[in-house]
Amino acid sequence: MQNRPAIVAVGRTKFGEHYGKEPEKLIEEAWLAASKECSIERKDLQACYMSDCFLPITNKLGLEEGFLSELTELHVPMEVTRSFSAALNTACHAIQAGVYDTILVGGIEKMTDRWDKIRDDLMLLDDPWSYYAGGTPESNHELMMRAYIKKHGIKGQDLEKLEVALAQVAVKNHANGAKNKYAQFQRKITLDQVLNARKAAHKPLGLYDFAPVSDGATALVLTSETVANKMTNRPVFVLAIGAATDYLNYTSREDLSRFLAAELAMKKATQTAKVAASDLQLMELNDQSTMMEMVSLEDLGFCPPGTAWKNIYESSQNGQLSYELGGKQVHVNTDGGLKADGNPLGATGGAQIYEVYRQLRGEAAERQINLPNGLRHGGAVEFEGFGTKAYVTILGEKTQ
Amino acid sequence: MSSEPIERRVSYLGDRLKACKCQCCGKEYFEVRDYCSVCGRKSYGKMDSIDLFYDKGTLELCTYINEPTNKFTKLSAFVYGIVSFHGGKIRVPARLTDQLVCDGKNIGLASLEGREVIPRFRRRYSVGKSDVIPTISLAFTLADEYYPHQEYKVVQPTKDYELPGIVGYGAYSSRFRIKEQGYERAVPFMDEDSVTAAVEAGKLALIHSGLDSTWIGKVYAGSESNPYAVKPIAAKVAQVLKLGTEDGDVQGVDAVDTEFACKAASSMFKDACALVSYPKSGINYAMVIGADNSQAAPRGCPGGELDQFVGYGGAAFIFGKRDVIAEVEGWYSCTSDTPDFWRRDGEPYPMHGGRFTGDPAYHKHVKSAASKLMERCNFKASDINYFVPHQPNPSFPIRVAKELGFKEEQFMPSIQMPKFGNTYSGASLVGLAAVLDVAKPDERILVTSYGSGAGSDAYMLRTTSQLLDKRQRQKINVKFLAENPFVEYVDYTTYRRLKLGM
Repeated sequence: MQNRPAIVAVGRTKFGEHYGKEPEKLIEEAWLAASKECSIERKDLQACYMSDCFLPITNKLGLEEGFLSELTELHVPMEVTRSFSAALNTACHAIQAGVYDTILVGGIEKMTDRWDKIRDDLMLLDDPWSYYAGGTPESNHELMMRAYIKKHGIKGQDLEKLEVALAQVAVKNHANGAKNKYAQFQRKITLDQVLNARKAAHKPLGLYDFAPVSDGATALVLTSETVANKMTNRPVFVLAIGAATDYLNYTSREDLSRFLAAELAMKKATQTAKVAASDLQLMELNDQSTMMEMVSLEDLGFCPPGTAWKNIYESSQNGQLSYELGGKQVHVNTDGGLKADGNPLGATGGAQIYEVYRQLRGEAAERQINLPNGLRHGGAVEFEGFGTKAYVTILGEKTQ
Repeated sequence: MSSEPIERRVSYLGDRLKACKCQCCGKEYFEVRDYCSVCGRKSYGKMDSIDLFYDKGTLELCTYINEPTNKFTKLSAFVYGIVSFHGGKIRVPARLTDQLVCDGKNIGLASLEGREVIPRFRRRYSVGKSDVIPTISLAFTLADEYYPHQEYKVVQPTKDYELPGIVGYGAYSSRFRIKEQGYERAVPFMDEDSVTAAVEAGKLALIHSGLDSTWIGKVYAGSESNPYAVKPIAAKVAQVLKLGTEDGDVQGVDAVDTEFACKAASSMFKDACALVSYPKSGINYAMVIGADNSQAAPRGCPGGELDQFVGYGGAAFIFGKRDVIAEVEGWYSCTSDTPDFWRRDGEPYPMHGGRFTGDPAYHKHVKSAASKLMERCNFKASDINYFVPHQPNPSFPIRVAKELGFKEEQFMPSIQMPKFGNTYSGASLVGLAAVLDVAKPDERILVTSYGSGAGSDAYMLRTTSQLLDKRQRQKINVKFLAENPFVEYVDYTTYRRLKLGM
């Protein structure tokens, strides 16, 4: 990547149910946290890129840029995207093009403000026919799990192991979330809790297999390399963002057992960043469901198709919170992932970047991972919809 | 509130499951496309329209939904999945319908996957009382259960008849029944209503007749439970069944709803006959449908006595002058202003005049119409092979048949009320369908409907040899519906819940 953009500060709110807070309070909190960290002030910002998925629906806010302008008394160019990764991608392009050198990237979502309708709203991320036929935000995850099981001919004891492996994803993510003061769920759960919730619902995936509905905001300050070097001696560089798009309609996709967009985005990102999947030992995956964390490991090339469940199962048997993939320890969702940290759509990607940034800088406190050769890169994967859009972001501390 | 333009487009595509196929590469798409996304520009104008309405698919994958989105909450729980057609060339999202899923532990998802399913035209989901009712055919039922797949094959008619008559017919009733007091009554599933029953009956009639749906020039839909005060059932039938020649997204067919309590449909037999006989009408075939989700107030409420008798279902008859299976030899109708049963505008349930509905209403009119017609045709009861009376309850039709001089073997084959309940506008029509299912060629059938308010239509029919030729085309006949091993019985509470609909 030319004119490598750098992150110089990150900030976020706690994710969860912020019944008492207006959306502007949340984004303000995230921005203030980020600005304190790098002593950047509002006047330094040359542009803002903000993401939210549902603010026009949940809070009747149709022109989010104006709301941000009013809040900050800023009159710089602003754009809104649906996901944090999309906002970051656009901001990176602007820095690389030399148009700006200091940009605020933020994400926000206020899903609990429409508690009774939010699952219907989530169907906007699916094709309308699925909604008309009775689909739910969860159903595609379960159908993909069925497709995966069928495609790889998993049965008997193996199927039981797969089911346990998926439950272990939730157990691990909650264990990580317990160490994250910003996480929506800061408590551990047991394997039995996950399995029993499925049994009670008579469903392939249960309550603990899915990320929650959340409120929250995240922000970061993105600068050019030159500005970054003036502000901090430890900037975290955006080495690459790979993006890809697939059909809105999951049912029409050729292979129902994986996400093509994730594979393509990863390919693009690793090529640009000149790193291999095996170089990435810290990954923030988009675990909207435990099934998605499993499938992503395969789509991103960490293990061959049809094998991720075995790796997860075996790794969890040793009680470790990381996966052993291809002879290396891969730490996935050290912040608790979407499952425990929370999933306020527009802000979710920001929390992933926040975690990778903290880990790379050694600031992750209790969650800090320690690798024998040090942690040089970290990646984050974000989806819009059910694999319709995928973004793979690779961050690194040192330029190459 | 739903947006009407969206409803128009979604139901236009979704009711019929319109799809298309690229002539260049053979790729198929659900929905209509102007070009193939693989072949691009060169495929412009080379996309063949296909639809999946008469097709069968395979339930490829499925899961269990017990926390549906808001518009589906009345269904509580259901199976949802992906159905593939043509070996996986087209895949669509699908809801399995006609299944009362109370407890997911009884559902073996793996045992459902791989089974053949049939698209069914149903209500899509719940909407407000004043909204347009959305429909769709992305509801499916298992082909090896209550409703098997039947091929729709167009057969060129060969023989002309002097008199107009029935060319094809179909009867439809739902999978659910309530069993009380020694007889059974059909209960619609929650996504069914008089509109879906009318479409089902019409579809089965087309399959039986072997007629190209574009040859139908007029469709009459008779019902007293149209969910709309203003909006015709017949228009939905015409569009879903593609009656008449298609011109863009408009069907070249005349469609009209008729209303006269339970004789709303039977009244139009003569109009259909006249229409196909009039040389300048340009109409060779006309379809008459009678279908009802028969309404009744809950027991204990005023009018709640009807709740013991009401059923669900209907039948469709296609009239024409070629390849006739039963010629119409004559008819007679009578009418009087008798307020024995009525439903005021805006009221959900009808009221009735108690004992008054018997003698001065039903018996007087049915007897008058039937005996007048016999007199006109110069027939005694013994000259007629089958008598089909309107059947609002188990006793009225038997009494009137006996009083007219018919013996049990003449009228019992038509008495279907103890199997399906009183299907209002569909009642005498389902009885006629049951008789046509078993009659031999060259037999006489006397049908006498009754509509409260009040009036009666009597028709004299004479079957032809083609009755037997066409019989094999219809697996789903009245007996099949009545004695189907996949019928599911429900209790009173469930019956009321299902009947109320989505």
